Amino acid sequence: MPKKKTSPTVPLIETQSLTKSYFSEELETPVLHGIDLTISEEEFVSIMGPSGSGKSTLMHILGFLDQPTTGKYLFRGEPTRTMTDDELAAIRATRVSFVFQAFNLLPRTTVLDNVMLPLLYHPTIPASERVERSMNAIKSVDLEDRALYYTNQLSGGQQQRVAIARALVTSPDVIFADEPTGNLDSKSGNQVMEVLQDLHDEGGRTIILVTHEQSTAAHAKRIIHLLDGNVSSDTKQFTQINAKKNNNLKK
Amino acid sequence: MLITDTFQAAQRSLLRNKSRSLLTMLGVIIGVGSVVLMTSVGASMEKLILGQISSIGAQSMVIFPGTSEGAEGSIMAGFDSLTLEDVNALEKLTTVNSIAPGIMMPVNAATYGREKTEPRVIGTVPNYFLNREVTIERGRLLEDSDIRAARNVAVIGSEIVDDLFGRQNPIGKRIKLGARSYEVIGTLESIGTQFFQNADEFVFIPMTTARAQNAQKYVNIISLQSVGDFDLAQSDVESLLRRRHGIVNPDGDTDKDDFMVRTSAQANDILGAVSLGLTLFITTVAGISLIVGGIGIMNIMLVAVTERTREIGLRKAIGAKRRDILLQFLVEAVVITMVAGIIGIVCGIGLAALTAAIADKFLPTYDFAISYPSIGVAFGMAFSVGLGFGIYPARKAAMLSPMNALRYE
Repeated sequence: MPKKKTSPTVPLIETQSLTKSYFSEELETPVLHGIDLTISEEEFVSIMGPSGSGKSTLMHILGFLDQPTTGKYLFRGEPTRTMTDDELAAIRATRVSFVFQAFNLLPRTTVLDNVMLPLLYHPTIPASERVERSMNAIKSVDLEDRALYYTNQLSGGQQQRVAIARALVTSPDVIFADEPTGNLDSKSGNQVMEVLQDLHDEGGRTIILVTHEQSTAAHAKRIIHLLDGNVSSDTKQFTQINAKKNNNLKK
Repeated sequence: MLITDTFQAAQRSLLRNKSRSLLTMLGVIIGVGSVVLMTSVGASMEKLILGQISSIGAQSMVIFPGTSEGAEGSIMAGFDSLTLEDVNALEKLTTVNSIAPGIMMPVNAATYGREKTEPRVIGTVPNYFLNREVTIERGRLLEDSDIRAARNVAVIGSEIVDDLFGRQNPIGKRIKLGARSYEVIGTLESIGTQFFQNADEFVFIPMTTARAQNAQKYVNIISLQSVGDFDLAQSDVESLLRRRHGIVNPDGDTDKDDFMVRTSAQANDILGAVSLGLTLFITTVAGISLIVGGIGIMNIMLVAVTERTREIGLRKAIGAKRRDILLQFLVEAVVITMVAGIIGIVCGIGLAALTAAIADKFLPTYDFAISYPSIGVAFGMAFSVGLGFGIYPARKAAMLSPMNALRYE
């Protein structure tokens, strides 16, 4: 799918001294201590770290689900701090999308309707294109024969692929995947990773994967390690795992 | 988000969560249904009670001897301030007609075979029936020929019929009032309370027959009707009686009179008071039903929140604005309370009709009635509670950051 290209000097995502603290009863709990990072288009990045390292919090901020406490977050060079609630909602509707650990599909609803859901909130895609776009997204995760099944009739791996299709349907600039294999067995997890790798390698998608497992993180091309709210390492020097090969081996 | 999408999202959400929708609807149905049922039963009771007190013509007037003080309206046999001369004088007034004097007989028992009851026996004339708007059930009323011949005949009220004859036809049978025997010539349909007396326990015999026994010159009751203006007729009657009884009472202070004029207006005042009491009672019952129903609706709405909060989180994460969320929940709440409210009204009316059908077996005069304002109130209550407790949590969730809503448990 064609992607909008901005000037190569403007990265897709750029943070400067980003911090986040949670406040409860006058107690400040700092989670992120000044994150500086840059992610360009068509990257496949893993954000890795043990629980409590702040990786989920960082993803929520980068995905416009939450706001930083201090620091700058530039999306395509645009500062996001001053955005209104509706502007943030519009960005979530058009620019970013999510794959959650817990899938978060609507139960007793068909695969097609689940995948179509983001299009209801999309400001520009006309209603007449919804079904076709949704079916294309479902095809790209190989579930077209399940399109009219209820999501609760599917296996965990299939459900997560539905969630990926839902993330694809709006053609977002970046897909965030938060522990996408966390609720899956290794075989289903591998299939999900294969889908994500395909989306990047063949579809040219920007994917940001959040995980605490080295083996999952290594499916990406770049790994950012978080430790106690700081970036402890940022490297492309590792052996990438190829999910397709793994799957073929298992067969 | 398009408005049609909002409606579709609401509809799908309601269908997707059938058990939750049904439970919510059940809360509304019970709330609305119980209010409609209770107020309907209340309205029927009101009709029943008021129906027993009613049926006096607006032109009707009754004069009793005695002063307004003491036992109100009681006919005290032997009280002698009203005489047959008074009756004759009243006949000459042009503002009243249909004058019917009555003499209460000191009879303690009416018997038929072994059956015995305590009647109120009154000697009177045919006009009396006209003034009291009674309806003959069987046989005939007293006629002028009965009066002229001073026949030993009696017309009996419905309670006397029940007590003495049960299901037998009393016409032509002879009952004993004290020592004398009378032929029953007619029976009356149940009247209920008139002028604060149970009109169904009366036995009516000819005036002349009554007088032949005790030769009293005074009368215990005079029933009459106004011709034209009622107030004018009443003041004519009062001033005539005061003049004849030598009472100086220019202020019209009824305490000074030795007679009492009772009108249907006074009766209506009492009716109004009874009616108000009943209304207050029904309102209280309806209010309690409203609270109970409202709490039911509230509970189920609050229970549904957890699940909805995560759904709201998801919808926000994929781009829903606050407005989209609120609108969807608003539509859901409106649809569900409307549908359930209508079902509740139908159920309430149905149950009330069933109650009426059953009650009719025991209380023949029980009629099915519906309190329309209470239906509106019940519907409004269900609507606002459903809306309030549907929207409030949704609003709260819509205000949360999507991340917090997604993590909510």
